[in-house]
Amino acid sequence: MSSEAIIKCEGVGKAFQLYMHRNDQLKQTLFWRWGPFYKEHWVLRDVSFTVDKGECVGIIGRNGAGKTTLLQILCGITTQTHGIAQLNGRIAPILALGAGFDTELSGRENALIGGAILGLKRNEVLKRMPSIEAFADIGDFFHQPLKMYSSGMAARLAFSVCAHADADILIVDEALSVGDAEFGAKCDAYIKDFAKRGTILVVSHDLMTLEALCDRLVWIDKGVVKAIGTPSEIIPEYRLFMGHTDPAEF
Amino acid sequence: MTLTMPLERAWHFRDLIRAVVRRELAARFRGSILGWLWAVFGPLVMLSAYTVIFSNAVGVPKSAQGGGVKTYALSIFTGLIVFNLFSEIMYRSPGLLQEHVNFIKKSIFPSETLAWTATIRALVYAAISFGVLLIFELFVTAALPPTVLLLPLVIVPMVLFLLGVSWFLMALGSFTRDVAHLMISIVPVLMFATPIFYSITDVPPQLRLYVHFNLIGNYVEMIRDLLLYGRLPNLLLYAGTVLVSLVIFRFGYRFFMRYKSIFVDVI
Repeated sequence: MSSEAIIKCEGVGKAFQLYMHRNDQLKQTLFWRWGPFYKEHWVLRDVSFTVDKGECVGIIGRNGAGKTTLLQILCGITTQTHGIAQLNGRIAPILALGAGFDTELSGRENALIGGAILGLKRNEVLKRMPSIEAFADIGDFFHQPLKMYSSGMAARLAFSVCAHADADILIVDEALSVGDAEFGAKCDAYIKDFAKRGTILVVSHDLMTLEALCDRLVWIDKGVVKAIGTPSEIIPEYRLFMGHTDPAEF
Repeated sequence: MTLTMPLERAWHFRDLIRAVVRRELAARFRGSILGWLWAVFGPLVMLSAYTVIFSNAVGVPKSAQGGGVKTYALSIFTGLIVFNLFSEIMYRSPGLLQEHVNFIKKSIFPSETLAWTATIRALVYAAISFGVLLIFELFVTAALPPTVLLLPLVIVPMVLFLLGVSWFLMALGSFTRDVAHLMISIVPVLMFATPIFYSITDVPPQLRLYVHFNLIGNYVEMIRDLLLYGRLPNLLLYAGTVLVSLVIFRFGYRFFMRYKSIFVDVI
């Protein structure tokens, strides 16, 4: 297989400016000359890796290691302080299921907004609506306001919208375990099927899933890439590092 | 950056803007039985009240006596529609990013489109009020002046002006909540500085120049000229107002885009 890099990170670093007071940000913007009015906090330092076309790469690491920030940079939600982060293709980010859903609107209307945020044209969403409804599989609730939904139902709807985004790259942040077992299996099946034609970058703590799904893992610790390799190389080391020897605990 | 760039971007995101506007409009009268009728009812009550008050209780100021009570009521109403449009943008813009924090932090959302959705929403209600106004005017004067057709030439630059203000306030408001409080104190003052209950001709000549610095007032006067008096606005005033509006449009957009990358980390 040709190694055509779809995702490319080169020396990516991100420093958050920690402000003691909310309005210090304004001070910094206006009076930067007399600053700085913040403390720097580096969440990512010199992160480099590539994801080739058709690959599925997982990111692991402790809470606060910088995994979500890395995904946000790749999606273009936030910008890196230095380094290069490149993505070639249409992304469907599943960072937080149901972000931006309006509880007063029906599932159908929320799907229209969710689709628009993912960059779909209105008629594209309308065309896929029956399929979105079928995938979410929440029955008549699809036409009810979201406030009537259980949290599992809302997650199903959100995942269903993302699954219809026609993306080349799927970016998933620990959203795999949504809904009940049956829907979870459906999501897993979708992601496995997607892995055949598209590129996936996934953050998860579920090592079993990662082992089954991913070609490679990137292990990030305290904002630095600690190791990159196949799941069979990384996972035992990671478990050891985390102080767990019993695989059943994961 | 050219002037058309923000417009091209908005066109690119038109489906998203449309979806969010629909949501906003649906939210406004949610849970009320009369729903959209309120959008018509509110302006109707206001217009009737002005007519009654100024014909019986207060009396019409000297400058407006030529046209009579009903024309005066129409003139106030025109002023209020335009000013309310502006005040809605001023009140709402500083908190817009905060309001949509989930969109911005958790998905790839072009936050500059929020100025469009806020402006379009405000315009829709203004349009309903204008509809009521036109019907009322038809009843009073039996015919609309042909200059009504020229309204878009005034409305379009006004919308660009509103967008520029919205972008600027959105950016500023994301840094500090004080902007929202500032608006609450500024807007009522601006209302008296705007020729709503009076006309620019009521202002002493030596102060008139300063009143023209207030763009909203200029738009009120120009819309009144076209809508009520059937005459063309002062062309010099028109050109100046359009020019300043374009500058604000461009500046607001640039200001917003310049700080766009840091909002995410602040809000």
